[in-house]
Order: sequence, then C-alpha cells, then structure tokens
Amino acid sequence: MITAADRPTTHAAWPAMLPSLVVAAVVIWAAATTETDWNRLGEAGPRILEFLGRMLPPDLSVMPEVARGLAETLRIAVLGTLGCVLASLVLGPLAAARLAPAWVHRPVRSLLALIRAIPLLLVAMLMVGAVGLGPLPGILAVAVHATGMLAKFYAEALDDVDVAPVAALESAGATLLQRLRFAYWPQIAPVVLRDTIFRFELNLRESLILGIVGAGGIGFYIQTYVRSFQYEKAATVTLAIAIVILLIEGANGALRRWVS
Amino acid sequence: MMNTPGLLPILATGLVHTYVGNRTWALAGVDFAVERGEVVALVGPSGAGKSTLLTLLDGRLRGWHGAASVLGLALGPDRPPDRVRRAEVGFIFQEFALVERASVWRNVLNGRLGRTDPLASLLGRSTAADYAAAEAALLDTGIAELRNRRVDRLSGGQRQRVAIARCLAQEPKLILADEPVSNLDPLRSERVLSLLARTARQRGSTLLFTSHQPELAALVADRIVAMRDGRVVFDGPPERLDPTELDKIYRDEPLEHAPEPVP
Repeated sequence: MITAADRPTTHAAWPAMLPSLVVAAVVIWAAATTETDWNRLGEAGPRILEFLGRMLPPDLSVMPEVARGLAETLRIAVLGTLGCVLASLVLGPLAAARLAPAWVHRPVRSLLALIRAIPLLLVAMLMVGAVGLGPLPGILAVAVHATGMLAKFYAEALDDVDVAPVAALESAGATLLQRLRFAYWPQIAPVVLRDTIFRFELNLRESLILGIVGAGGIGFYIQTYVRSFQYEKAATVTLAIAIVILLIEGANGALRRWVS
Repeated sequence: MMNTPGLLPILATGLVHTYVGNRTWALAGVDFAVERGEVVALVGPSGAGKSTLLTLLDGRLRGWHGAASVLGLALGPDRPPDRVRRAEVGFIFQEFALVERASVWRNVLNGRLGRTDPLASLLGRSTAADYAAAEAALLDTGIAELRNRRVDRLSGGQRQRVAIARCLAQEPKLILADEPVSNLDPLRSERVLSLLARTARQRGSTLLFTSHQPELAALVADRIVAMRDGRVVFDGPPERLDPTELDKIYRDEPLEHAPEPVP
C-alpha cells in the first residue's frame, strides 16, 4: 500500500530536476540573446541555390595553385607530425606514472592538458606573430598543438605495459634504457604506431585552414577565393580538399589494419 | 664470519619481513646457507614465505631485516644490487615474464643485456659471446627450432623453456627459480625440472628453486629446505623427507610456537 509518506515530496524532486532546468536555461539564453534575424532563414532558400550555382562549373584552371597549396599543407602536416612525435618521445615517458615520479609526471600532465586546451588556430596566430608568415609557423603550431594529445597517448601506452618482463630484464642486469628498448617498446609499438597515424590524419585535417591566419598551405587560397567572390575557384579547392581527405582516410584505415 | 660469506653463494641469518598491511610475518627469522654447486629445493605450503625469500635474495625486496649475502656480497634492504651483481644472479619467474610480442631468440638474448655494453645493445649489436651463450641456452633447453617464433604463439611448456633459456643465456653463477614448473603437467614438470637441475650442474651453477610438490623436488635436488609460516622447519637430504616430516610441513594446524603478529 502506498502512503503519503512513500511518495516523493516536492522538496526531494527539486534536485533531480536541476540538470534539466540548467540545460533549458542555457538554450533559452543562447537563442534569446543571439542577435540573429531568424526571418533570413525563410528567404535564404533561393539565395543558397544561386550561391551554389555560382560555384558551377568549378574553375579547373587554378589546379596548379591548388596542387601547390595542398602540397604545402601536406608538408606542414608531415613535418608538424614529426615535431610532435619527437616532443612526445620525451614528454610521454615524463608523463607516465610508471617511469617518472609524481613530482615530474603530474606537472608534465598538467602542461599537456594546457596545450590541448589551446585551439590550433590560436597557436598558429601566436606563431605567425613570433616567426612571421609562411609554412614555418604552421609546422611549429601543429607540432606544439598535437604534442598535447600525442604525449598523453604515449604516456598511457607506457602505463598499460605488463611489468613482469620489465622486472625480469632488470633482474638480469638491464639498464633503464635497455628496459625501455627491449621490454617497453615491443609492448607499446602497435599502440604508438596507431596513435601516431591517427594524429597525422588529424594534423592534416587541421592544417587545411592554417593559411587563413597566414601560417601556410591551401587555406590561403580558400581565404582568397571566397573573399574575392571567385566561387568557381573556391569550388575547385573544396573538391580537391575533399578528395585528399578521403584518400588519406582510406590509406590510414589500411595502415591501421596492417599495424593491428 | 669474515671469510665464509665469500665461499657460499647464499648465506642468510635472521631474515625477517612483513608486507605492508599484513599482520603476519612473511619471513619470521630465516637462517640458511647454500653451498657452491648445490641444487636445493625450497618446499612448503603456499604462503610459507618461499617466494618472498627468493625475491629478497634476487635483491628486489625492500624493507626487510637481518643479514643476507649472495655470492659473497651483502645485500641491502634499501637498494637494488648493482648491474654486475644482477647479471650474476639469474631468476626464473613463475609466470615466465617474457616479452610476448618478441621472438624466442630476442627473449633469450634479453638474458644477455646485463652482460653487454648498454649503448651497443640499444643499437641492436651483440657480441660473439652473447650469441654463443644464447645459442647454447637454446640447445640446452631443446628449443633451437623455435627461435624465430613469437612467444605469444607458444604453448605453456615451450614458454617455460624460453624462460629457462633466457636465464641460462645470462650465464649466472646462482639461479633462483620461483615455481619453475608450476604451469606444466606432471610429466612435463619432471622433464623440465630435471633439465634445469642437469644444466645447472653441467655449468657449475648453484640452483635454488621453489616447488609446492615435495615429491617432485626430491627427485632432482641434493637438499630439501622446507618452510612454513616464514620459518625453516626442515633442512636435509631428500631421503630424510619421510611421511612424518611431510606431515609436519603440510598439516593444517598452525605450529605450536607460531610467531606473534606484527603490531
């Protein structure tokens, strides 16, 4: 039998409803305070069609520039990945609880979290300010930004290692470097390769827009063509980027299957 | 006292240890010695302190009390032995402790790491002595044809042999083996244990192994040391290990003078 005392009281229900109320309040705040003329959505239909029409047919005469821009983006991604791998080979072990004492791995982990929290474009703008325009600030920005994630992944791989062979090699007289090479590395190699390939794919995707802030690559042409209303050329750039991304995605998928 | 430790591979007096959070002794005053070239079996019920004693003698236990010297040098309870010393004492782990994703050959060669130049070994270079020792260990353990196989593709018995081969490749003066055949069926257990004892004798190494099968241990050992509740309760030739002694070691009642728990 249910008595009045068994029923949840209104006081007890309030805390349970709180998260829903907070979400509702945030959505209402965002919608109500954004200065957007919602009526524009209604008359946008024909305009979007006209806009797409202006992208057709894509102007293929800019292919040489587009290819040059894409090649530079690829170089930025490759060298940026190399940079973040080198940095992570040092910072990863320092962030691993198994290899570094707490007074080392805690601050290193905090530093990596801080780096991850800064968006790539922001890092790139700072690098442009520091070393000037061109691919160099792009490479540096990718290297710094990606280290925040990659070093964390390397540290996690090191912390997941089976310690028994490590102890066995130590017992046989192996030094720390020998244990890293012959007990840790064989165990973490597939994970490290997989994570590095994944990070390279992310680096390539994120480098595409670096040119917008002057940090080199195809992004410069996106910026130029859109700002100067040359939509047929922008369409060529968009198509080329889509094709490259699909190719890289396929290649990385095959590579990852081969590693595991 | 000044000279004897140098002559004995193992000399231990009054070894005492308790694990953090445990209220009983893992080692409750262990005195024993092993002579050069001896094959000694350490038997007793599980929890008797056999593995703890072996780990201590390998220099991997911290915070113990008493005095222990291994191959003539005193062990300290607060620091691991140096590299040369670690290379001279071989340890065979109960769960093999092999690098699963590496080949048999690489795992056996890992036993040489303490004896090679650290930088050269990192570059993948080993000396002729390393290759010769690893080759001999493969042959002695009968796994030469498995050399290129990856360890994670091997059976338990094959892994056991790889673990023994890695230890033999180390060319240790003293071999400590923690339940070296516990993962094998009875027939294979006897075969592998005989192999271990035989190769140790051929090479003039001293062998101390633990076993929870006293009958099996008696087949290969020169001497049996039995532990119970952290103490040595029997020490003598295998022939003296009769049913009365076995009953004393393995019966369920606690010893009459059980040690006081640590406060």
